[in-house]
Amino acid sequence: MTRRIALRGIVEGSARGPLLPSREAISFLGDVDIRSGRVVGDLPSVRGRSLAGVVLVMPYTRGSAGAWRFLHQLFRHGNAPAAIVSGTLPDPSVVQGAILSGIPVACDPAEDPWPLLRDGAQAALVVEEDRAVLELDA
Amino acid sequence: MDLTQAERDMLEGREGPARQRAMKGLVQLGRAYGAPRMVEIGYAHIHAGMALYLEDVELMEELAAIDARMAVPASVNIANADTVNWRATGAPESLARLQRRAAGAHARLGSDCTFTCTPYWAGHWPTWNTHMTSIESTVTIFCNSVLGARSNRDGFFAVYAGMTGRYPLFGYHRDDMRRGTGLFVVEADLAGPSDFSCLGFHVGAAIGDGVPVVTGFARRPSLDELDALGAGIATSGGASMFIVPGATPPFADVEAAFGGRDVPAPTPVGRAAIDAVYARYRDAHDAIDIVHLGCPHASWEEMKHYARLLDGRRVAGGIELWITASRNVRNAAADAGVLARLEAAGAKVISDTCPMSCHFARTVSPDPALGVVPPRLRAVVVDSAKQAKYVRDMIQCPVLLTGAEEAVETACSGRFVPRDAR
Repeated sequence: MTRRIALRGIVEGSARGPLLPSREAISFLGDVDIRSGRVVGDLPSVRGRSLAGVVLVMPYTRGSAGAWRFLHQLFRHGNAPAAIVSGTLPDPSVVQGAILSGIPVACDPAEDPWPLLRDGAQAALVVEEDRAVLELDA
Repeated sequence: MDLTQAERDMLEGREGPARQRAMKGLVQLGRAYGAPRMVEIGYAHIHAGMALYLEDVELMEELAAIDARMAVPASVNIANADTVNWRATGAPESLARLQRRAAGAHARLGSDCTFTCTPYWAGHWPTWNTHMTSIESTVTIFCNSVLGARSNRDGFFAVYAGMTGRYPLFGYHRDDMRRGTGLFVVEADLAGPSDFSCLGFHVGAAIGDGVPVVTGFARRPSLDELDALGAGIATSGGASMFIVPGATPPFADVEAAFGGRDVPAPTPVGRAAIDAVYARYRDAHDAIDIVHLGCPHASWEEMKHYARLLDGRRVAGGIELWITASRNVRNAAADAGVLARLEAAGAKVISDTCPMSCHFARTVSPDPALGVVPPRLRAVVVDSAKQAKYVRDMIQCPVLLTGAEEAVETACSGRFVPRDAR
């Protein structure tokens, strides 16, 4: 059975991959090694995990004017997440990096997704204009 | 979003694929941030295409290849190598060659390939109420706070805004964002860009992403001091704008700076707060390899000041004194004989890049074929809180922050001279 959660669409596109739920906000500038795609920042729930190809879910994005460059560098190194779901509106630099890299982004889930998120389970994010759906495989 | 016919033409591809790509991105950005419409911009400070980042120069070449053109006056941000004088920095020629390819792309895009973080010293001087875009936070804060132009801290989309002449109406393009959120009263005698850089670093950390109103100066700060203040604020926090009443257009006094809202209780800033920033960047070290002046890239006035400090002096053996300035300012200094005075003292005048932006950085991931090997530096001495933070974070070597005068003394004596030694 597939669960569907409605969200606010930020960056258009659709992507599928294993879920990586992060309890902490990840800063693309500083928390992630662009060469390996792994989280190197001090984030207990995801430290050491690879962002490559995952549907990344996090509570919010940590702001930095350079975030776009490092998100795009992850993409150029083949280590970018397939999709990003943020609890709150991501900062403009992350949005710019995601558009440039073709990574769909959504925020503001209509219901609390956390009880439904299983690490590694397949998920898909579909974003059309300002409407988005996160599909979670049971 | 409410789009004009011209904007819909771009969005639907009637102006070609480059403008379509750019407008699609800008519409998504505007939708995300609740922009009701686009504004017409008058200036863009855009991405260089950086040789130390994988396929980043290619990003600009890809746009040039689909006939992207700048629709408004555009300058280009700092790059990863001095494209003329790379040997003086120890960079491999492969890196300079790749960086020069970015200059070729900008020639086709029609941007002024300034490769600088201070395009205003190179003649790009947007005026009051000009909507604009900037990829460099120091340029954003200078243009908002000293010139009265309107800019957000943008990323790559500064390129898209430049290609379309449009930007979504949100953030610091709106009047209601351009109001003070905190009041700071300076109770210290500050002199010169390094003191203002420390003031900015202190205020920026306290204000977060708000708008600090800064008063209490014994005199109107110079343009170089205001430049340093903004760079410091933007480095330690997320602020895009400060207000110095009487200097920042159009805010004549503190009441105007808060836009009719209640003026908050002032936070005093004494000498101890300034000295704490100098002390924060005073690492233990064995020896000094580089002394650096010119962050942000030096103005013509700063170049003259450095020349006066260095006349009759000589940089000590084993130490490099780097002065970084845009090529425009470098050329002006060459024409006026200032460059010869700096070089006679043993200084290296570098353009297009700076210590934290060049191949010294350890946080980048260039194409391995370039053969870039960051040197092991024992310590770097700087006169800017911004450069200090990024030397520590990106070059990952000991860093020491002092004033420009003391930095010159350090370079000539070989021993670190702190700011508080005056």
